Amino acid sequence: MEESGILGFIRNRWYFILLIPLFILLPFLTPHHSLASEMLIFAIFAMGYDILFGYTGLLSFGHAIFFGVGAYSLGLILIKLQAPLLLGLLGGVFVTLVIALAVGFLSIRVRGIYFVMVTLAFCQMFYFIALKWAGFTGGDNGLHGVPRPPIFTIHLDSEIRLYYFILILFVLCLFLALRIVHSPFGRALQSLKSNEDRAKSIGFDTNHFKLISFLISAFFGALAGGLYALHLNFVPIETLNIMTSGDVVIMSIIGGIGTLYGPIFGALLLVYLKNLMSGWTEQWNFIMGILFITSVLTLRRGILVEVKQRFFHKR
Amino acid sequence: MDIQFIFVQLFNGLALGSFYILLSLGLTIIFGMLGVVNFAHGALYMLGAYCAYTLVQVYSGNFWIAVILSPLIVGLIGIVMEFTLLRKLYDLPHFYNLLLTFGLMIFIEELVQIIYSPMGKPFNTPKEFLGSFDLGFMLFPKYRLFILGVTTFLAVGIWLFISKTKLGAIIRAGTDDSEMVDALGIDISKIFTLVFGMGAGLAGLSGVLAAPLQNIFPYMGMGILTETFVVVIIGGMGSIFGSILGGIIVGELITMGVIFWPPLANTLIYIFMAAVLLLRPRGFFGRVKFFE
Repeated sequence: MEESGILGFIRNRWYFILLIPLFILLPFLTPHHSLASEMLIFAIFAMGYDILFGYTGLLSFGHAIFFGVGAYSLGLILIKLQAPLLLGLLGGVFVTLVIALAVGFLSIRVRGIYFVMVTLAFCQMFYFIALKWAGFTGGDNGLHGVPRPPIFTIHLDSEIRLYYFILILFVLCLFLALRIVHSPFGRALQSLKSNEDRAKSIGFDTNHFKLISFLISAFFGALAGGLYALHLNFVPIETLNIMTSGDVVIMSIIGGIGTLYGPIFGALLLVYLKNLMSGWTEQWNFIMGILFITSVLTLRRGILVEVKQRFFHKR
Repeated sequence: MDIQFIFVQLFNGLALGSFYILLSLGLTIIFGMLGVVNFAHGALYMLGAYCAYTLVQVYSGNFWIAVILSPLIVGLIGIVMEFTLLRKLYDLPHFYNLLLTFGLMIFIEELVQIIYSPMGKPFNTPKEFLGSFDLGFMLFPKYRLFILGVTTFLAVGIWLFISKTKLGAIIRAGTDDSEMVDALGIDISKIFTLVFGMGAGLAGLSGVLAAPLQNIFPYMGMGILTETFVVVIIGGMGSIFGSILGGIIVGELITMGVIFWPPLANTLIYIFMAAVLLLRPRGFFGRVKFFE
């Protein structure tokens, strides 16, 4: 039997320690250093998204909002206020959480498939706002010239340094996420997923839990978005596009939802694959479509579990 | 601003609303029956427009042939989609099917983009509908009047079909409890395929009708899909009257927004949607059942 709690979780998965050197060496294993940063950024995004989708059972197509708003607000704070990096990151997260509170409050008033449609509609709305408010956001061209101020005295202008900065945040996020899903609060979220009505009838204020879960995942999304802006030195308007929401959904499905490490693996894999493929073909989105269809049909428990089941447990 | 201009714009809003009505009717019927929100609905609309383009501009066919054939072709594509893919996932939580249709949407859009190039395609207004018609108090383009006529005819037709025919009764029963209908000896899976094909055909027809009015390009379905979602959220999922009312509201909000406050035109409908969510989350004609 599995020990409960975070310590038990880690004790049962001690072999994950073997992955530590991999993460430290990652930028030297990828074709260029910045790809490793991008992989980790989406891993942070997918990890937070899994708390909402995998653990709470709410499928949101609106998380591009938080990724995008996180990126834009960090960029704007750094450009317009010339603020230090930490303030930019905190400010970006704060602005996003305020928006997430409004979007979450309205969206959780409806359930199930309605929730998907409402979050998707809000996503389109924020996309239009960024597109039309060109004087502020740069419109169609995106927000150019996001600086990379030093963190205290350490300069981040080299890609390697930025990678290790992101790695530190990634590890902190991972501990935070593990702490959340293995807490009593995390258990309550899982009870919502398996049967919302029952959770309500035993006395949980389900809307309250849903909103907090929504905000937590928005927090991870905002942080990832902010780091993405730093990584590119620029915020493309595509960050707010519905396809960005689609990306994080497919990362979660391919990796296996409700496991935390699954979506992380899915994000690393998909970002790497995208980079690899774009060297050969311009039709990455076409491949994405096929990947989406096949993984929903055949990889619903995540690629790791499905492969293990098919090749090692033959009957 | 003179009063006639306002009237023309009101009618333009209705013509735009027609597309939302046709699309949301298909979406709502499919959802009621299969429990699937078809994300590929916008892509099917786009396919309808490309069918019309191919039939009329490439093979220099007649517009009427396109109006008849394109919905049939798109409906057939819908039937194949349901029969080969969607069917496999009915026993699983509904969101898997939703994600499948999202994947299909990307697939269809990208395939069209590869075949026809991402460039927009022109489409001429059919000769019969050039010019305007004098309604007495104002002049209105003939083609938009034709769209209003077709939509009214179809909306009434669908309402009669669902509420008066035997097949419609089966569909209504299936919306409430499809397992029970199956247990009563009706082959519900055939009805599922038929309903999906019908919804797809309606989307295809809206695409054909939209072809002369807008630029045809591979991603034209995405914007209209989200707007159709807003229609369904406002009107209430699963209701024909909800689709009609929601479609008119969204069409008018967009058309009037462009005149009175252009920067906000695109966001107005989402603000309205937010207000509906605050005051009546199920939408005007929504049933409580569809919330789960």
